[in-house]
Amino acid sequence: MSQLATFIEEKRQQKTILSMTHVVYGYPSVEESLSWMERLMQEGVDFIEVQFPFSDPVADGPSIVAACHKALEQDLNVDTCLSQLGKLAKNFPDSRIVLMSYLNPMYRFGLDKLAKRAAEENILGLILPDLPIEQAATYQAACKTNHIDPVWLVTPVTPPERLAMLASQASGFLYCVARSGVTGHSSHEGKAKQTSLDDYLAQIKQHASAPMGVGFGLRERAQIEQLIGKADIAILGSALLDAYNQGGQEAGIKLIKDLFH
Amino acid sequence: MQSENGFYGQYGGSYIPEILYSSQQQILHAFEEAKNDPEFLAELNKQWQQFSGRPTPLTFCANLTEHFGGAQIYLKREDLNHSGAHKMNNVIGQGLLVKRMGKKRVIAETGAGQHGIATALVAARLGLECTIYMGAKDIERQYPNVFWMKQLGATVVPVTTGAQTLRDALDEALRDWSSSHEESHYLIGTSCGCAPFPEMVAFFQSVIGNEVREQSVAQFGQFPDRLYACVGGGSNACGLFLPFLDDKDVEMVGVEAGGKGLELGEHSIRLSHNLGQPGIAQGFATMFLQDNAGQLQETHSIAAGLDYVGVSPIIAHLAETGRLKMTYAMDDDVIAACTLLLKKEGIIPALESSHALAGAFKDAPNLPKDSKIVINLSGRGDKDIFNVAKAVQDETFPQFLTDYLAAYPTNHADNEEQKA
Repeated sequence: MSQLATFIEEKRQQKTILSMTHVVYGYPSVEESLSWMERLMQEGVDFIEVQFPFSDPVADGPSIVAACHKALEQDLNVDTCLSQLGKLAKNFPDSRIVLMSYLNPMYRFGLDKLAKRAAEENILGLILPDLPIEQAATYQAACKTNHIDPVWLVTPVTPPERLAMLASQASGFLYCVARSGVTGHSSHEGKAKQTSLDDYLAQIKQHASAPMGVGFGLRERAQIEQLIGKADIAILGSALLDAYNQGGQEAGIKLIKDLFH
Repeated sequence: MQSENGFYGQYGGSYIPEILYSSQQQILHAFEEAKNDPEFLAELNKQWQQFSGRPTPLTFCANLTEHFGGAQIYLKREDLNHSGAHKMNNVIGQGLLVKRMGKKRVIAETGAGQHGIATALVAARLGLECTIYMGAKDIERQYPNVFWMKQLGATVVPVTTGAQTLRDALDEALRDWSSSHEESHYLIGTSCGCAPFPEMVAFFQSVIGNEVREQSVAQFGQFPDRLYACVGGGSNACGLFLPFLDDKDVEMVGVEAGGKGLELGEHSIRLSHNLGQPGIAQGFATMFLQDNAGQLQETHSIAAGLDYVGVSPIIAHLAETGRLKMTYAMDDDVIAACTLLLKKEGIIPALESSHALAGAFKDAPNLPKDSKIVINLSGRGDKDIFNVAKAVQDETFPQFLTDYLAAYPTNHADNEEQKA
């Protein structure tokens, strides 16, 4: 079993659902974002999903887009980011860091080098939402060589055969997108009818031996409760960023405590 | 041009969020079926003819030819399409495909607003709901187009993220599509984006080159020696060039926007002088203007329609393999070319198309007198009235604007007063 899946399984012995909190690297400044990550880990979140900003984040909604653009007012460097995250990972061995970004900045950095450097810094999972599995052979091989996990996404509109294929290839964990649309609150939330979340998760579970993380649109305790017993990780992104924007670290921590008490 | 699984050499492909997979596959299959269905093609030809006025003429420019004393200059008159640009060829095609797929709503991005208007026109005609994403800065620069989109019943959404131009509008259109894919079609305006959009848009635009094949033989007994087209996203260039791809004697020249200079941010030159770099963004792989960290960069052109950070993967591939020669024209040369066409031939060209003119005018004097060149006049210039007035420093224009504003009823009360 992968290092990430093992970690999740062990943690799940003590907790009904694990928390993954999202932070945009470099927002509002590199120093501030690192301090926010440190605080989150001190408070005992199980995972941090660190987003390395890209100028054109098409899967994200307004909160995260604005944070990425703000962060990019500085020159950000992937290698420096990985070193800084590595230091945090070392200081907080009870939590794990996964790196999320879009393909282009990672492609420019080099996908082989990315997998190698991430592994060196004990960053065990990578999420690239605009890299479809069909185009990912090199990336998958690089992850395998370095014993880290490429995290794949499935959605409520993923066709059944494809869902089975993605789930069977999942290692680390499978990122289950809870609804159509982009991250967070926006005018682009899916309005179309879709299967109930319970049915959707049950369907995935049939095919997935890897743990399941659920994200997109989570911002209330009831939503987290609904996931207990059906998924392993609840992923908190834009809601946390919105709280942070309104009331800083304290407001963010309060939200996490409300959701994961 | 047939792709290999969506790829043209190393460019193209489909790099989209997982949520769009099913919709992308649906378009892939629908297009594959439609382009082989005689009934669909008959309807397409009928709409091209009856709604857009095709075929467009191939016009010989005797005065320009004499002026330069070299090649014989012909213009392919895409400016005579309904809506005033080649954009119509594509929106009619995709519009019919939307009906075929049974979707009720279209989303489009627009830079200058030409594709926005073309989309709004077709949506109105086909009874489709229509949402247009447009950068807030482009809305400021191109308000007359916004006005017509709204009058046509489209919802125009100002995009206020990033640089607030075409690239941001495209991102936002993709985000809308991510949530509305079940009932909406993303009607992309150029031969960019994930597969099958580059191939599909190029297919619909190839009517341009196909007509030139017939018209050139009919009018001067041979295929042209050389073709010129401006390259923004690349759809008018694909349209003119692709039907001649296998005719090795037909040379092809693509003209990009040199803007104000060759510093990053001042131009939109992606395919020559090592200014663009390979990248993967906005759904596909191509040459992008980006920094060393892979962040996409700002672009500039006097012609909003050429002001795009990426380029068609088909054009990128043809440029890389040397089939296509790429050059650029600076803003000043473009205005000069525009002015020359006005004065010599009585045709008002769009500033986008004036890039193709500028590129061709540079070569024309040095080409043999019996050689024939065809320049794609992709659009007409009426929409550029404000920009051209400023560029030629027209003295009367500011007074016109002042007077117009003074007489314009600025609030409801004024309106009522006038009625009374």
